[in-house]
Amino acid sequence: MSFAIFLEQIINGLIIGSMYALIGSGIALIYGTMRVLNLAHGEFYMLGGYFVFFLAVTYGLPSWLAIPVAVFATFILGVLVQRLTIHYLLGKEGWMFSTIAATLGLSIFLQNAALLMFGETFQSVPYYISGMLRVGDIRLPYQRVLIFVVAIATIGVMTYILKKTRLGWAIRATSQDRDAAAVVGIPAQRIYLITFGIAAALGAVAAAMLAPIYAINPWSGLPILLKGFVVVILGGLGSFPGAIAGGLILGIVEAIGVQLTASEWRDVIAFTLMIAVIWWRPWGLFGSKPS
Amino acid sequence: MAEAPMLTVENLNVLYGDYQVLWDVSLTVNRNEVVAVLGPNGSGKSTVLKAIMGLAPVKSGKIIFEGIDLTKVPTHEMVAHGISMVLERRRLFTNMTVRENILLGAYHKSVNKDTRQRLEWVESLFPILAERRDQIAGRMSGGEQQMVAIARSLMSRPRLLLMDEPYLGLSPRIVKQIAGIIKQVNQEGIAVIFNEQNVQLSFGLSNHGYLLEGGRMVLSGTGEEMIHSEVIRRVYLGA
Repeated sequence: MSFAIFLEQIINGLIIGSMYALIGSGIALIYGTMRVLNLAHGEFYMLGGYFVFFLAVTYGLPSWLAIPVAVFATFILGVLVQRLTIHYLLGKEGWMFSTIAATLGLSIFLQNAALLMFGETFQSVPYYISGMLRVGDIRLPYQRVLIFVVAIATIGVMTYILKKTRLGWAIRATSQDRDAAAVVGIPAQRIYLITFGIAAALGAVAAAMLAPIYAINPWSGLPILLKGFVVVILGGLGSFPGAIAGGLILGIVEAIGVQLTASEWRDVIAFTLMIAVIWWRPWGLFGSKPS
Repeated sequence: MAEAPMLTVENLNVLYGDYQVLWDVSLTVNRNEVVAVLGPNGSGKSTVLKAIMGLAPVKSGKIIFEGIDLTKVPTHEMVAHGISMVLERRRLFTNMTVRENILLGAYHKSVNKDTRQRLEWVESLFPILAERRDQIAGRMSGGEQQMVAIARSLMSRPRLLLMDEPYLGLSPRIVKQIAGIIKQVNQEGIAVIFNEQNVQLSFGLSNHGYLLEGGRMVLSGTGEEMIHSEVIRRVYLGA
């Protein structure tokens, strides 16, 4: 294997990893603030992909318009889903299990609703940008460069929101101590709604960027959900920076692993990595050791 | 005629599921007063404060603060009415800095104007917190964390401050310091209601006390009256 190919694979791993990071950070935000494991997270990704497809392909909107509209629609969908399901379970007896059962049911429901409404045909979206970036021996389609740029920009915006804005402080405070947050005047219920919406929107950003590469179908959320879980377990459940790092690490390890073996081994590598981390550091790379 | 009490709790009953924690508890807090709620472990004294703040399930009874029925006010709106609370065991936002914790005390829209002046006032009460502003709150000592918790609760400039076991787990030296701070807070015109197991410790501060036993109010009076009461001896020593 030449060094250029090796480097190309690392870069590709980083690009896919940035998408894993977006998915994982959504799962981490929801778990961090609500302690809810959202098994329907993949379906936000799936529906986000369909929204992009309908807007960009069916209605022919330009992609710079179709993508933000689809992301916003997914945000609204996330808010609605939280308000109509999780909202009624939180704080009630047995909520830790009931929310898992509810999101699992929701996942099945949304998959079948998508199947019924959109059919089982695999859909795809044309490349947003064509051409190839060449640096020395390394060749990279601009489409992939775009994925990485959008991911970094999204992570940057999210980091800014969490660190610098009133909403971000409220989300962080609520995730650290809900009662203490309520005492200083932060309405947890509203923060939960917004957080769910943001997490869904992050899934839609990933879906929009991957739509030209991976086919959109009613089941496309499932493999993404599994990768998302690997990411949050690597990074530490509920940690936003952990999810970002976990996503990038997973992408790179997968890419190198596939280079050394074969592409069928991709998932084996991912889950082996996850099991190794659980064995060595059950609270994840960035999570804090439970006291 | 005496001024109406600032806070009136009347026949308060609190149930967690089927388990009744408070039975017909009544108390009052006057403007500028420091009130102690006493009682052994498990007597329900924390629950009294939590119920006032909307953090415990009130089944029946009245909680009236300056004419407003607090049982209808959600916890996150309490600061808007001039009530703030220091929760048991500090309950800081442990991954955030001291400054961030304190600033969050002025999160609510009704109190987030003139944040700078509020911060200056609070930091003048706790100069050490200005020095430590960039430290992660969770890495501070218990006493320092309690100061951050009090500072955070003061950022809304409450008229009534609830303090749930402010001395819990602190060394005698720190307890003395915290007691001094409570006095100072009271001198700033803030009424304080706090709970504590140690009777002697409580009456260093308060003008008035209530004693709970098994979720029922069994005694009330001034510090002097209560320290010499037979009931206190019975409740605490089982004699």
